[in-house]
Amino acid sequence: MAEHIEKCPECRAESGAIERLLAQTEAVRSEIRAAAASVDWDALPGQIADRVMSADGKARRVAPAERSRGWLAALRMKPVLVGLVAGLVVGAAAMYFALKAPGPGAKGNAGYYASGEFLDRAELEMARRNTLDYLEKSQYVLLDVFESADEGPVVPAAVRSERARDLLQRKQYLNGQLERFQMAKAKAICDQIEMLFLELSQIDSELTAAEIGKIRGLVEERQLLLKINLVKKELQSGV
Amino acid sequence: MTIIRLYQQKVFVMAYSILRDREDALDAVQETFLRLYQKAGLYKPGNSFQGWLLQMAKNISIDSYRKHQMKRREWETTKPIDEIPVAAEPARTGDSAAADLRSAFARSVETLANRQKMVFIMRHYNELQFNEISEAMKISIGTAKSLHFKAVQNLRKRLAPVLGIGS
Repeated sequence: MAEHIEKCPECRAESGAIERLLAQTEAVRSEIRAAAASVDWDALPGQIADRVMSADGKARRVAPAERSRGWLAALRMKPVLVGLVAGLVVGAAAMYFALKAPGPGAKGNAGYYASGEFLDRAELEMARRNTLDYLEKSQYVLLDVFESADEGPVVPAAVRSERARDLLQRKQYLNGQLERFQMAKAKAICDQIEMLFLELSQIDSELTAAEIGKIRGLVEERQLLLKINLVKKELQSGV
Repeated sequence: MTIIRLYQQKVFVMAYSILRDREDALDAVQETFLRLYQKAGLYKPGNSFQGWLLQMAKNISIDSYRKHQMKRREWETTKPIDEIPVAAEPARTGDSAAADLRSAFARSVETLANRQKMVFIMRHYNELQFNEISEAMKISIGTAKSLHFKAVQNLRKRLAPVLGIGS
């Protein structure tokens, strides 16, 4: 090869060019040698060994904790995840306080916690209304009886006795309320009406004019319709 | 310790060839031996230990070089243009023309393809034989020689005007 380079001018030129090129590597090598000369090679192994030892000790100390808290460390290193978790916590807290605070719908639930006094008042009001209704219906029945006495037997006796029995049943229910709330006046008139209806309920056939007249006389004698009106007015005024 | 004493200078030359900075190269040397201690179990007996170690040093140095490049780019994008030094070369001593030539040569080596550059550095800076290069780079000797030839040809073309040789 050396002989060929000596004989061949082209190859000789090429070889020369490459030699000059590679000569430049010597310049870089000298730079590297200069840099290496400034290093304390005797001290470096000790420094490396220290670093290896400290890294090993650190790894032994930290590794178990890192394994157990790896996910926590990952969270700390991820601002986006931390922000997301913080947002969830704040949102959950806001929802908790929003649902805990009494809102507009809370008033509707107050009825579930009504006091005993309120319930008593409500029951008294129910008794008053029931008594009023009883008196009114009784009044209609009595007026019906009196009108039929003037015009003949327009309403069959069976129908009258049916209404009377219905009102008698209602009176049984009303008795407890009248006694509980000491509605003495109303109870007295209701008892008189009850006695009258007991008699009416016993009638199966058409009433004769004489029988109707007898009942009418009884009502008028006791001023039953007038008393009903008075008690009704008192109940309506809420006394 | 003995292993460090035996190979520390070879690892330094490898790191310095890539990083071209004394402190960065020393960091790479320390990192290489630290990695050697941690991954000693991965060494397969029968393979060249020097090749395995230099391969590790090469990888660490390339990683370090990339990190420094990224930092420099970040620094340049965040700094005002007035604060960026135009000429980063250190102050030259001695013959200015020789320094220019050495700088041009170093830049040309930098621009070589990665495998060509590594073979060239190992052959001429680390002064390794082709069989050692092939072990360090996990390539055949023929491939190492071929890559070296291509590296020399490319350098010849790029440095022709500077060296005054015909392309």
